[in-house]
Amino acid sequence: MVPVGFDNYVDALGNPIFWTAIVNTLVYFVVVFAVQVLGGVLFAAALHSKVHLANLYKVIIVIPVVVAPATFAPAHVQVWQSDGTVNRILDALGLGALAQSWIGQSTTSLLVVILVGCWGSIGFGFILYFGAMTQIDPEMLEAGRMDGAGNLRVLFSLVLPSVRPITISLAILNFITALKLFDNVWLITQGGPAHSSEFLGTLIYSEVASTDRDLGYASALSMILLVIAVAVSVVMQMRSRERTPRTPILTKRKAEPDV
Amino acid sequence: MFDTRRRGARITLQILLTVAVIPFVIPLYAMVAKSLEGAGWGNYGAVLAVPGFFRFFLNSAIVSLGAIAIIYIATMMAAFGFSKLRIRNKELYFWLLMAALTLPEVVLIAPLYSTAVALGLLGTFWSVILPIAALQIPFTILIARGFVDNIPDTLFEAARLDGAGTWRLFWSVLLPMSRPIAASLIVLVLINAWNSYLLPKVFLVNDDMGVVTLLPEFFKRQYNDDIPKVLAAAVVTAIPTILAYVLLQRQFERGMAAGAIK
Repeated sequence: MVPVGFDNYVDALGNPIFWTAIVNTLVYFVVVFAVQVLGGVLFAAALHSKVHLANLYKVIIVIPVVVAPATFAPAHVQVWQSDGTVNRILDALGLGALAQSWIGQSTTSLLVVILVGCWGSIGFGFILYFGAMTQIDPEMLEAGRMDGAGNLRVLFSLVLPSVRPITISLAILNFITALKLFDNVWLITQGGPAHSSEFLGTLIYSEVASTDRDLGYASALSMILLVIAVAVSVVMQMRSRERTPRTPILTKRKAEPDV
Repeated sequence: MFDTRRRGARITLQILLTVAVIPFVIPLYAMVAKSLEGAGWGNYGAVLAVPGFFRFFLNSAIVSLGAIAIIYIATMMAAFGFSKLRIRNKELYFWLLMAALTLPEVVLIAPLYSTAVALGLLGTFWSVILPIAALQIPFTILIARGFVDNIPDTLFEAARLDGAGTWRLFWSVLLPMSRPIAASLIVLVLINAWNSYLLPKVFLVNDDMGVVTLLPEFFKRQYNDDIPKVLAAAVVTAIPTILAYVLLQRQFERGMAAGAIK
């Protein structure tokens, strides 16, 4: 191995695929986080209301969170491929014109990865919000209703602010997940076609696993990823320091009123 | 949470909820439906009859239990030390540990590989158990320390006055007191270890050491992309986890919630 100085880093930063991976990571983070918060809050609120089959629905929403992504990946391929379930549903709805090769074309492969990501993470948001909502004082909601707030108004102006710590945690966790995303991408699109759904994880892995591997380049990419990840964990630490002492939600202590 | 005092509102909510759940069911349905194409239930028979199929589950259990044991011991001791013992510069050590909190495993693949070769661990379960444990320990320590910080010091001082040594404090005060957090962490670690894919993919290349997440790829090779059988294998793989979740819902949810108290 010949030392090449910072050439590997220059190569990495000058590589358009690297920037595709960065942009994909950011897009994935923003969309999955937004969907997770919205979906999680709505499902949690709905299942806290009087509905039938609540436990069945709950299990269905959480299954994607507990089963390994690697196990479900063949099912997602089945859903999104050319003669797959989605296209058949579109056909049945008379929207056959919209049917396309979702995984196989570079305009939609990222969309598939993102939707699979949403599918797998709404349940996690749901669990956290569902737990946090049990600690909300019903009288506060009642007061809101007296003032004439509708269901959605109560949800977004009263409930969502009081579960804000959860939302912040989800933002951080999602960012980390997006940074190290690998399983779903690799097993569904392999980062392709033409690197359109590339992420940092798949980029590094394919560099390490390929026959003409360039470990120096892979290591440079790894270091960049590492710096971002460590920076995030430092920020996270500072944040949790600011808020100490904080009551862990697992200690079954009485809920602290959120101010 | 939603106001459902009027009957119309109740019915609307039920309908909206049901429609919203449909996208979650689609992949599950597609998986089961496709797995029954061709040979029907015969696909399941064929999958279950593949020699070494259950070996994958056994291997996953070995990896998960190994990781749980190491993490439990290391986490409880570290939480005790960081929280209740006087150790020079302990906050510095804690910060160093926390820098590894978000370490993505993919950046470690190359160095871990050469480490495993150097230590002669390649081709053993240790090559997967140790990294899985190491990557989760910073996080479990962060959570466990937060919990132990909330156990009053006076409890330990009282035991100390009664003549208990440090080891005894750990064994007879800390471990019993921290059982609730330990249970949550164990469930969390179990899910993560059971579902881990990248590390086993790289290190457990031998089919008789494969874990459950490698089953789809194993069956793709075994059956030359006979998709119904691959999906039958995926269904069989998913069932134990789903059953475990349905039976232990509370524990699972607490374990996963532990992931959010950072």
